[in-house]
Amino acid sequence: MGVRKIDVSMCTGCAICVDYCPMDVLKMDGERQKAFIKYLRDCQSCFLCERVCPENAITCIPVYERRIPLPW
Amino acid sequence: MADEVVMRDIDVLVIGGGLAGTFAAIKAREAGASHVVQVDKASVGRSGCSAFGAGVIRTFFPHEDDRDKAVYESVLRSHFLCDQERLAQHLDDVYDRIREMDSFGVEFEKTPDGKFDRILARGIYRRVMFRGGYRMMEAMRKAAIEKGVKIVDRVMVTDLLTDGGGAAGAIGFSTESGQVYEFYARSVVLATGRGFMKGRRPGHRNVTGDGMAAAYRAGVTLAGLDSAVPNTGPAHYDIGPGNNMYLGAGGLLVNSDGRRFAETFDPALKERTELGILSVACAIEARRGRTPLYLDMTGVEPEKVQRMKRVIPLPLMMYERAGVVVGDRFVKRIEWVIEGPSCNGGLLVNSRYETTLPGLFTCGDTMPAVGPEGQTALPGAMTSGARAGKYAAGYASEVPPPKISREQVAEFRERMFAPLKRRDGIEPDQVLLSVQEALMPYDVLVLRHEERLKAALQEVEGIWHGQVPLLQAYDPHYLRMAHEAGNIALVARMMLESALYRRESRESLREDYPYLDHTEWVKLVTVKRDGDRMELGAAPVPLERYKLRPPVEKVLHPLWRAAEKQGIIRVENGSVKWA
Repeated sequence: MGVRKIDVSMCTGCAICVDYCPMDVLKMDGERQKAFIKYLRDCQSCFLCERVCPENAITCIPVYERRIPLPW
Repeated sequence: MADEVVMRDIDVLVIGGGLAGTFAAIKAREAGASHVVQVDKASVGRSGCSAFGAGVIRTFFPHEDDRDKAVYESVLRSHFLCDQERLAQHLDDVYDRIREMDSFGVEFEKTPDGKFDRILARGIYRRVMFRGGYRMMEAMRKAAIEKGVKIVDRVMVTDLLTDGGGAAGAIGFSTESGQVYEFYARSVVLATGRGFMKGRRPGHRNVTGDGMAAAYRAGVTLAGLDSAVPNTGPAHYDIGPGNNMYLGAGGLLVNSDGRRFAETFDPALKERTELGILSVACAIEARRGRTPLYLDMTGVEPEKVQRMKRVIPLPLMMYERAGVVVGDRFVKRIEWVIEGPSCNGGLLVNSRYETTLPGLFTCGDTMPAVGPEGQTALPGAMTSGARAGKYAAGYASEVPPPKISREQVAEFRERMFAPLKRRDGIEPDQVLLSVQEALMPYDVLVLRHEERLKAALQEVEGIWHGQVPLLQAYDPHYLRMAHEAGNIALVARMMLESALYRRESRESLREDYPYLDHTEWVKLVTVKRDGDRMELGAAPVPLERYKLRPPVEKVLHPLWRAAEKQGIIRVENGSVKWA
């Protein structure tokens, strides 16, 4: 499931998370200058956004968003 | 839709923003190419596997390590499929590339006297450690920009442009604006990685075989796709990678009886054995009903966990979040499975990293690997990327600018945007899950039999013909997802066709062909487009040019032999029977 929450009260709109996200999951709300989660399902649970956020505004959890088959 | 962006007069176009592509771009500039463009569907340095590298780089130190042993291990463990010329280049270059990365500002773990600190992890050679894949790649991105590489982020290349039988550039779209990007280039380096299929490996889900699929459509020959050597990882947490650090630190793999099992197949290295052996060992435990399997790290010393926090910070953060790591201890064992689906292989290359399309070069995971101690993963990306970039620059200096066919551009634009024009089409996710379900079972991916491979192929063919043509997208983001799903289905077809073609056990095990056949099969399985047909073939490894050659014999595969010795299987009428 990866990224779960961007705390809008802490987000300063620096867009580092949006730049970093390899999966194009996060976007900027141009009007409010806040990052938001747009395509949650495509999150690859890499935790990069949480790690690079200078305000610690992002929370991720290591749970599968999609069903991915098991090998046995 | 806004007008297209056209970038002309490119000397070297690098497609892919991982370590191989970034080295290619840097070295192309250093070799004198004036206009070098590097494009990525995400962003250069934060894309592909490299940014999520597992903290270690297997590095041959010429002044400390035994070269003959490194060559021998690589060739033997690749079952002689290894390109021994590329392996020699790799061993010549890899230490210099590490020092170069050090000079670019990549932070390595060092000893108090400033030397590279190395640890033993998987395999026989020690590895240098760097602090965080994304930080390593940030330094590489910065180095590329300083060298004058023009970076284009958030553009997904969908097709390779060709000009009278040679590479002429590429075409793609912005995943933000949907604008078309046309790149006209004298030479192209494809560095898009292998066929991970958005499977069980976080950090690798944007490596969807896009370059392999584009090359196939352009008529380029691919090779080695029959080889699937999946990694292993947690069953219920979306966490990874990091196995080299875990197993190198003393992590144990145990089965449902609590018994270690890797040593059955590699008594010397045990859990630190090569992936090809480890994935087979896990699959055989599953076949014997001894699952669930677990990774047990509870005995690992706190100082080693602290080092993991420096070297693989992202997975360790995740394990803390999951309550598996508390303080500097792993407090519970983790249910463990084979990861995948994925396939190895890539574009057929020579020792100058040239593909079968003139002007198209490749490197890193986009080409067949050169054996476990050699040019694979991050170390392979460094050495092959650097050479591919240099050779591509040399090629570009000798050829005129390409002539771009407007008909070809029009055809590719039509294909690119078709999913956006469809109504009532299919979600990319449906295609994705269907392909994964067909390929993921351990008895398709790792322990193979013609019947099961054929059933999986039938499934994937059904998806290819029935679902892929109906993929629908709502916006440029979804358009990327739709193309990725289509590419994954195409790579899955190539992989299964290639797997069926090889009638022996070598990098992957066949129950119906359990023999390692050096009399017939020291060859890479090749695949190439012939109109609507997939043409299979074999490229013999040029053993006559190499120092190390296998005995000309057909023997029971060493892993099957080990299983037979343990009474796990027997061989009857040329086929494996399970005890």
